[in-house]
Amino acid sequence: MNQGRYLRRRIRNLVFLSLSVLATGFGLAWLVAVLGTLLYEGFSGLNFQLFAEMTPPPGEDGGLLNAIVGSLMMNLIAVAVGTPIGILAGTYLAEYGRYSRVAFVIRFVNDILLSAPSIVLGLFIYVAVVLPMGHFSAWAGAAVLGTIVIPVVVRTTENMLLLIPNTLREAGVALGAPRWHVIRHITWRAAQAGIVTGALLAIARISGETAPLLFTALNNQFWSLDPNAPIASLPVVIFQFAISPYEDWQRLAWSGALLITLAVLALSITARLLESPQERK
Amino acid sequence: MTMAENGAVKVAINDLSFFYGEMQALKKITLSLRRNKVTAFIGPSGCGKSTLLRVLNRIYEIYPNQRATGEVLMDGENILSPRQDLNLLRAKVGMVFQKPTPFPMSIFDNIAFGLQLYDRLPRSELEGRVETALKRAALWDEVKDKLHQSGNSLSGGQQQRLCIARSVATKPELILLDEPCSALDPISTAKIEELIAELSQDYTITIVTHNMQQASRVSDFTAFMFLGELIEFGETEKIFTTPTKKRTEDYITGRFG
Repeated sequence: MNQGRYLRRRIRNLVFLSLSVLATGFGLAWLVAVLGTLLYEGFSGLNFQLFAEMTPPPGEDGGLLNAIVGSLMMNLIAVAVGTPIGILAGTYLAEYGRYSRVAFVIRFVNDILLSAPSIVLGLFIYVAVVLPMGHFSAWAGAAVLGTIVIPVVVRTTENMLLLIPNTLREAGVALGAPRWHVIRHITWRAAQAGIVTGALLAIARISGETAPLLFTALNNQFWSLDPNAPIASLPVVIFQFAISPYEDWQRLAWSGALLITLAVLALSITARLLESPQERK
Repeated sequence: MTMAENGAVKVAINDLSFFYGEMQALKKITLSLRRNKVTAFIGPSGCGKSTLLRVLNRIYEIYPNQRATGEVLMDGENILSPRQDLNLLRAKVGMVFQKPTPFPMSIFDNIAFGLQLYDRLPRSELEGRVETALKRAALWDEVKDKLHQSGNSLSGGQQQRLCIARSVATKPELILLDEPCSALDPISTAKIEELIAELSQDYTITIVTHNMQQASRVSDFTAFMFLGELIEFGETEKIFTTPTKKRTEDYITGRFG
């Protein structure tokens, strides 16, 4: 064995290893810094008041209740409408239309939607919903979030169904089951965890959307459950409060940011747990 | 014993050709499957034996650009006719695949799935039919205490027997076995071969296999295929002892393939 060559290899290995570790450390350090600041600033403002009181005028005590409820409401509508549409469309792409030209076009358009900047979707809803209605509303906010949910769910549903081996479909069909029956009872069930994960990730994705809500749902200082009226949401309140000069508003913004992060974290963990294959007893 | 005396014809295949797009995979196949007999399709990979099997329940229809021409008469009716109801045909023809395909549900529901497709059975009868099917597939004793566990929790050999139980549960007239033992160990294989022998008392069975000994052990008739053509068809004993074609002899003695 050539000793010099061996030594050179070991040195090279060491250099690359150190570089990778350094790069990883550099990236992680920022992440830790961001999360650390968020936790530090957010936790100090985390209290019961946050969940019990409305967003205050500057200089007064208050919480984020109306924003939390507004966000929940719009997310709920968006997911309730967007997920079934997305799952059905993804099912069409993976099952019925897998080889058709129409499906090819739909898939292509869906991928464009998937990567479209959300502010563009917001603009679309502004023109399509807000202008005809004549005012901002929770409906418009939910609509724009829905248009973000659909392509995500379409994509994950299709991908998850494509992972199901064809022999499983054949086995169902070979028993004399109609195609829809096989889909409903076999392929959907086999892809269940993945499809639910897709929906959860879609929720995580819309939880932080701010730009498209600015000119659809706008904002609301007060308590509102009226979907026809403008409504507060966590991301928009964070945006408004964080850029304000008032210290108490800024503190609320931190707490709101922490709430969103924790919610998204919880969703991601749930999604991860679902992904790992487990036997149902 | 001549072939004519050896039971009635269940399926008569006449001039059957099959195309994957432009590619012709079966060339004018003519042969008959006899009632309550086991017919084996053998031949090297790509010879069309699985394709032939897949025509018998028209499972190929779920893919685009695959078509069959000719005639396949089951009890005198052409199943290739466009008027043939595919779901009903498939309910009459059971199929077991190369790899076990348990559905993502409990052992019980795996069997009940097919039973509930066309009949609304009362619970007690459903349970009885599931038990009978599992007993037929020689699986009952191994799973009777865990019927509500996932079908995926079984071993490979058990899963394959579950799939056999699933397809016999609906009392099909014809059972198609597409290399059912190729993913199994010798002990599971032996169990399934015993099962085939037993099932052939009540069912017409066709089996595709790469395993020459298996074909000679389990089948009454053997069809040797090569490059989409039927080279030789006859009683298994004759095919394996005194084949008439040179190519058949070469293949079964292991000189090619």
